[in-house]
Amino acid sequence: MPRVLAPLLVLLATMAAAADDGMARLRASGIMRWGCDISGGAPFAFPDPSDPDRVIGFEVEIAEELAHRLGVRAERFSADWLALIDALEADRCDLLINGFEVTADRERVVAFSTPYFRYAQQLVVRAEDRDRFTSLADLAGRPIAVLNGSASIESLRSAGVPPSLIVEYDDSLAPFTETILGRVDACLQESFIAQFFAGHDPRLALVDAAFDPGIYAVVVRQGDDDLLASVNAALASMRADGTLGRILQRWGLWSDAQRELGIDRGPIIATIPEAIGTPPEDGLPWSLVLWSLARAAAMTALLTIVSMPIATFVGLLLAIAILHGPKPLSRFCHGYVLLTRGTPLLVQIFLLYYSLPALGAWLGIPELLTWNKVVVGIVCLAANYAAYEAEIHRAALQAIPQSQWDAARALGFTRAQTLRFIIVPQSWRLSLPAIINDLNSLIKDSSLVSMIGVQELLAVALGIGKASFAVPSMLVAAAAFYLVLSLLADWFGQSLERRARTVGTLPEPIHR
Amino acid sequence: MTTPALEAKGISKRWPRTGAVLADCSLRVERRTVHALIGASGSGKSTLLRCLGLLEPPDAGSILVDGALAVDQGVVAADRSVRRSVGMVFQEPSLFAHLSALANVSLAPHRVLGLDPESARNRACSALDRVHALHLADRRPDELSGGERQRVAIARALAMEPSVLLCDEPTSALDPLLTREVMAVLRELALDAGTTMVVVTHDLDFVAAAADSVDFLHAGRIRISGTADLLGTRGLDDELDRFLQRS
Repeated sequence: MPRVLAPLLVLLATMAAAADDGMARLRASGIMRWGCDISGGAPFAFPDPSDPDRVIGFEVEIAEELAHRLGVRAERFSADWLALIDALEADRCDLLINGFEVTADRERVVAFSTPYFRYAQQLVVRAEDRDRFTSLADLAGRPIAVLNGSASIESLRSAGVPPSLIVEYDDSLAPFTETILGRVDACLQESFIAQFFAGHDPRLALVDAAFDPGIYAVVVRQGDDDLLASVNAALASMRADGTLGRILQRWGLWSDAQRELGIDRGPIIATIPEAIGTPPEDGLPWSLVLWSLARAAAMTALLTIVSMPIATFVGLLLAIAILHGPKPLSRFCHGYVLLTRGTPLLVQIFLLYYSLPALGAWLGIPELLTWNKVVVGIVCLAANYAAYEAEIHRAALQAIPQSQWDAARALGFTRAQTLRFIIVPQSWRLSLPAIINDLNSLIKDSSLVSMIGVQELLAVALGIGKASFAVPSMLVAAAAFYLVLSLLADWFGQSLERRARTVGTLPEPIHR
Repeated sequence: MTTPALEAKGISKRWPRTGAVLADCSLRVERRTVHALIGASGSGKSTLLRCLGLLEPPDAGSILVDGALAVDQGVVAADRSVRRSVGMVFQEPSLFAHLSALANVSLAPHRVLGLDPESARNRACSALDRVHALHLADRRPDELSGGERQRVAIARALAMEPSVLLCDEPTSALDPLLTREVMAVLRELALDAGTTMVVVTHDLDFVAAAADSVDFLHAGRIRISGTADLLGTRGLDDELDRFLQRS
């Protein structure tokens, strides 16, 4: 989906971008914002299984070294991998270091640095099929799992595998799990990922001879020539002085193929334990994990607590405007409800986050429209749910009998007064159960803002799960937190309903 | 001649789908008098009352409240002060369900007339007292009987101190016992307190006892006007005879 929007964003970005060069801005701010997806899994950039608050990985080390050599500080920017290029175009970050294979398709949109890693494609099958499937040809007619957006897809296509047999997954771990479970017979991944996830798993086997080599490089915006030159110079020195070789060795990624890129190995050093893709021996560090989840749950709660009251109030205004507003306003608000309910929340989040800054730059007010991702998340959730709440309020407002309006009119109330003092206090009681229902649903929908890198409950749980080979148990843990939040919401809703039933707590002139 | 509390001239009203309901109705209600509108169901009594209450714009005609033009040639003048001087009690009490009886009565004096909460409450209490409902002040509408609800609704209209109180068959939704309770209150208001009222009713005993003047409506026209003595006459008008015979 997000790639569909890319042309629009690129258009907006090119209208605005290249106003000032990236390197000049890096120097001015002293910060290099590098983009990656920390839920993509090891060994790129991922939460440390023994301390989920820390993000580690070979690309984290490359980014830090790169920033150091550019004389600035590295600052990580996280977003969904598929959204990273759009984030770069929208100037949410300065460059990307996250396993971006250099491909002709991508080169049309962005610029690549010189490479920092060479990979090849590795076929992985179940251990018992080791002798049955010894090459891609043996798998003819069988589905093969891949990571979406990865170069593995192109490799399979050029090998003649029909698209219907290429099954794409959102993260690196899933293709292996699917192979183990038997939903697919094999998966194709970049060799070191295969090594990381499958190399130590007795249920899987690596099929001989990796093929289709390719390279990873740093991604920058087209036109950021000065920045690109500085990055290339820094990478060249890292390749030559053994720094890059050392990082690759630390992460168990060294192979002789790397020399072809001009990377000097440097002194031989040992692979660090984190680089070996096995679950922690003594299980997950649960106290740390739960602490991380609790803080992520607080983010989910924050998103909900701020956006739902806004949605409820705006929804009420929309419903009143639709029912009682002048015709153009009524039509406009009705149109808003239809448009907002009729398009996916995910698209709304995405558009607001990545196109607003470009629009702002075009209008000459970039700082006014470049909102923090939590703010964008709250605005999107509130705006989206307001459309649903508007319909709930509309139904409740219409359920108040006409005789209440007549009685109010006969007493001399204006329409606004009637709504405020008589109709809304009554319709509020009717709409409350449905609104609490939506509150529950919003708690869970808030996970969609992880698309723009907000570290809410589901994103954090998945990130830890993938890094520590414990996705199912982390999902259960996340579900438990969601359940607690949901029960709290219900309890809150019930107390609101009780309050609404009592006479005297609602707008009333007399305080007795 | 003093200015009447309410005067209507040539009121006509036609529903787009069902046709004419009122044709050239004129009436004059003097201060401190009770005016009754009688007639069979569908004769246009309630529509006439809703026009007088400024809830329904007539197609033609004018209405004066205390001598001030409230409806001119079928157009409702948007002056809220005129609207406030016409109180209305409906067939259904239509109490505000979320408010106590007292708050129902005090809300409009506070919000519409702008009285401070204390004065609004005092006014509400005295209105409730006039309909013998002060003891119900803290009850919610759903804790009241039908008759009690209608009495609170009357108090709610009275609290605005209207020049004229319009009552649209206030007992039509009540059983005979509760009807008596509400009619007794209205009769008391009519006789003792000197309230100006226009009452649409089927209760001819009430008309006989409390009404100073009577209009008999038939097929959207005021067919005959007179005093309450009209009820005792026969042979004046065929339709009136038929109506009185049936009632």
